[in-house]
Amino acid sequence: MEKILTKKSFPAWVKKLQSYTVYSPEKQENLWSYEVIQNPDKLNLEHLNTVLAPKKITYPQREIFLQFNTSKEGKPQIKEVLPEEHPAVIFGVRPCDAKAITLTDKVFGEEPKDPYYWSRRNQTILVGLTCNPPPSPNCFCLSVGGSPHSKEGLDILMTDMGDKYHIDSLTKKGEKLIKAAENLFKPASSKDKKELEKIQRESEKKIKREVKDIKNIPDKLKDMFESPFWDEEAMSCIRCGICTYLCPTCFCFDITDELTSTLPLKGKRVRTWDTCQFPDFTMHSSGHNPRPDKASRLRQRMLHKFQYHVENYQDYLCTGCGRCISLCPMGIDIIEILNKVREHE
Amino acid sequence: MNENIYIPKLAKIIKIKEEVSGSRPIKTFRTQFIEKNSFSHQCGQCAMLSVLGKGESMISISSSPLEKDFLQFSILKMGRVTSALHETEVGETIGIRGPYGNNFPIENWKGKNLIFIGGGIGLAPIWSVLHTALKKKEDYGKLTLIYGARTSKDLVFKEELEKLNKKMNVHLSVDVEEKDWKEYVGFVPQNVTDKKPSPDNSISITCGPPIMIKFVIKALEELGFKDGQIYTTVENKMKCGIGKCGRCNIGKHYICKDGPVYSWAELKTLPQEY
Amino acid sequence: MVNLEEIKKEAKKILEEGKVKYIIGYAKSSKALMAAPAFVKKPEDIDKLIWDPTCFQNLVKFLLDEKRKKAREKEPDTRPVGIFVKGCDSRAINVLLQEKFITREDVYIMGLSCEDLGVLDEKKIFKKLKGEKPEKIEFDQRKNIVISTKEKTIKIPLKEILAERCLECTSSFPVISDVFWGDRNNRSPKEPFKSLEQIESLSQEEKWDFWQQQLSKCIRCYACRSVCPMCYCDECVVDSINLAITADTTAEEKAQKIKWIEKSPESSENFGYHLVRAMHLAGRCIDCSECERVCPVDIPIRFLNKKLEKVAKELFDYKAGLDPEQPSLVSSFKDEDPEDFIR
Repeated sequence: MEKILTKKSFPAWVKKLQSYTVYSPEKQENLWSYEVIQNPDKLNLEHLNTVLAPKKITYPQREIFLQFNTSKEGKPQIKEVLPEEHPAVIFGVRPCDAKAITLTDKVFGEEPKDPYYWSRRNQTILVGLTCNPPPSPNCFCLSVGGSPHSKEGLDILMTDMGDKYHIDSLTKKGEKLIKAAENLFKPASSKDKKELEKIQRESEKKIKREVKDIKNIPDKLKDMFESPFWDEEAMSCIRCGICTYLCPTCFCFDITDELTSTLPLKGKRVRTWDTCQFPDFTMHSSGHNPRPDKASRLRQRMLHKFQYHVENYQDYLCTGCGRCISLCPMGIDIIEILNKVREHE
Repeated sequence: MNENIYIPKLAKIIKIKEEVSGSRPIKTFRTQFIEKNSFSHQCGQCAMLSVLGKGESMISISSSPLEKDFLQFSILKMGRVTSALHETEVGETIGIRGPYGNNFPIENWKGKNLIFIGGGIGLAPIWSVLHTALKKKEDYGKLTLIYGARTSKDLVFKEELEKLNKKMNVHLSVDVEEKDWKEYVGFVPQNVTDKKPSPDNSISITCGPPIMIKFVIKALEELGFKDGQIYTTVENKMKCGIGKCGRCNIGKHYICKDGPVYSWAELKTLPQEY
Repeated sequence: MVNLEEIKKEAKKILEEGKVKYIIGYAKSSKALMAAPAFVKKPEDIDKLIWDPTCFQNLVKFLLDEKRKKAREKEPDTRPVGIFVKGCDSRAINVLLQEKFITREDVYIMGLSCEDLGVLDEKKIFKKLKGEKPEKIEFDQRKNIVISTKEKTIKIPLKEILAERCLECTSSFPVISDVFWGDRNNRSPKEPFKSLEQIESLSQEEKWDFWQQQLSKCIRCYACRSVCPMCYCDECVVDSINLAITADTTAEEKAQKIKWIEKSPESSENFGYHLVRAMHLAGRCIDCSECERVCPVDIPIRFLNKKLEKVAKELFDYKAGLDPEQPSLVSSFKDEDPEDFIR
């Protein structure tokens, strides 16, 4: 269903969505971040890439699995803590971040399904925004099977057309949102549709960076496991967690018990994001570590994204958002590494 | 399945046996679920044991699936969670969730000779297969156990080993000379070479410290065993147990889900990162 | 003036002579405003070395990896590592020498003076560019930076986009070196702790609110810890496992490691982590401000460390990193130390 919404009417639409928690990109000092809208009149969809992807809403950095305590009879008991009712709408989702959500959907949706992830995911409606121009100088979505106007994972795709938005409703959830303020929308004319195609073509031309011949890379990586290539590339890594925590597709997590008191027993079991780049990620209790150095951990990150995930799910675990490139403190560039892999003997 | 896979089921500890004391103690625990449930496992699978407040640890189930009254785990005291487990007493409650992982393809081994090779605590994961085979002795060929540890004090299931001698071939060993030790003295791989198990119509299952496994596989290959005839288990640090937290992978496999049981033929194809 | 060609000549020479194992220097990265660390092993590769205000990383961090690598090797190569350092970075080397973490023979220090300038601050430039990507940059003598984006070319006076620490720098040249390039300008900023005023002028409640708001953004990526040369502990207060355990560490020791700070990015844990880290760096932090630069969510971490630096100066007349022989702040005392807090 294709509709047109004037920019002037946009706040009015948002105001009709009171039964949802509405998120949108907001500028906090110098950085953009998805936050709950305080004032729909001040909505701004001209954002650059946010630091944290919208995955922080569907898959927050910390969530409680269960609570445990001692019952009156002195027996330990466990109480499941599922996420609260939280119907949410996120505006301004970049197509790369939406595609990333479909990738984590596949992982957490595989049997056995993850109930915590899905209880949030099922309640979240993603409203995307065509990237024109690309929000980051390091975007490369076209190289990994995405595009600045891709519809994957979105319920609605909005395209900025100057004084109005083209609204493409893609799912039942999206239609429901539009019905909430039906009178604000006009059907899209054939002129609008032609304009849309023009914008889509233009948006693709503006993506500057690319990884050539990415199709050959999974096989190339298979032969490079023992190569000293990784020692060279990882030398400037400082083993922080920036690349993985900001990545919209990364999903590795840790489960820890947080004890409030021992007698009587009281505490929670929580899930938090974790990263394969920390040295203790794979460390056994015995002290043995299958990935004791930065080279093996960088190799794990690259191989997981561009070989193992492809073998398991036929998809690259990367959507080309460019955050890891923009924010790596030491200038490690995933595109350059992939290009070097392609050239590697 | 609507069950929340992250919530452990509470179980009571009904029996604790100290197998090995000293600086690397091993205890065997038997547990019974507090509420009846449909937990049923196959040989080789593991379960996540929870000590509420300390954490979880993935331990292989050493009781046979044919044993319906309890689950048995043999645990080496290594870190925070296993130390907490060692401090529990009979009657206390722990959490169990599972079963996780793949299993020994014991159905495919009917009619074959089974050679179990273990070192130290490594006897625990193969104990379940061994007892299942013993209970259905008519389905399998000759059963042999080659097992050793650093000293005689480090052998697990000592009492059961004595009774086992009557039902199958048992060859024990210790690493160094000991007073009153009448059996083989040397490392387990050397004992394998010494006892020369035949590869004809045989499957060998080995488990123990990684370095022992490496040399046992070599010894078996020298005796003529093919890659598909050698089975082992692999371990890695685990948290979720269901292939989602991304931690225990070797290549594209998650050891909690696609392992821990591997034939040497399959393990060879994975990156050697464990 | 620092001449890049002379630097390259010396670098080539020491590599050819085999005097050093390799050289840690700066090279161009894929981002126009930022240099990347370069590890040059072969003499023919020295052409990738650069030196300009984009070279803001503190390379001393990589000496830690070198030490770890040597510890794992049976017969390590005992030759020193060549390393390029600026004024601030050289003080980090002094602290590591003072703490006997490395020995003088481990490093061949190649000192570069910033003279009257310093390094640029990416975040200040991005603000001026308003989202456009810098495609190419040039330095117009030592006065301006000329940035070309796709749309336009702008010229900004360098003084406007220098890093905050450069504006408060008291000595822009390395205090320890084996070879040295540039002039030894002593800079004496009138107010070396001016940047703290905006926080110090707040009331107690306002300060709490400020830090509550800032630290709630923390995602515990530990980039601040990872980039700091002085954060080299294997048993960090914030890790759940001691990285220095061996096969001989007993289960009791492992079980007894206390989890001081949980992994969750809750407010209480974030406060705990940042404040404990600041305390652990008291008298050791040399204000390279890398921690603040790398923070992906723009937490002004430098204020915490700078405040403790001010306290160290005012109460104990102590400045970190000036002399490898000086005692450490927290493990030494002088008779003149203030006693008015002792009741």
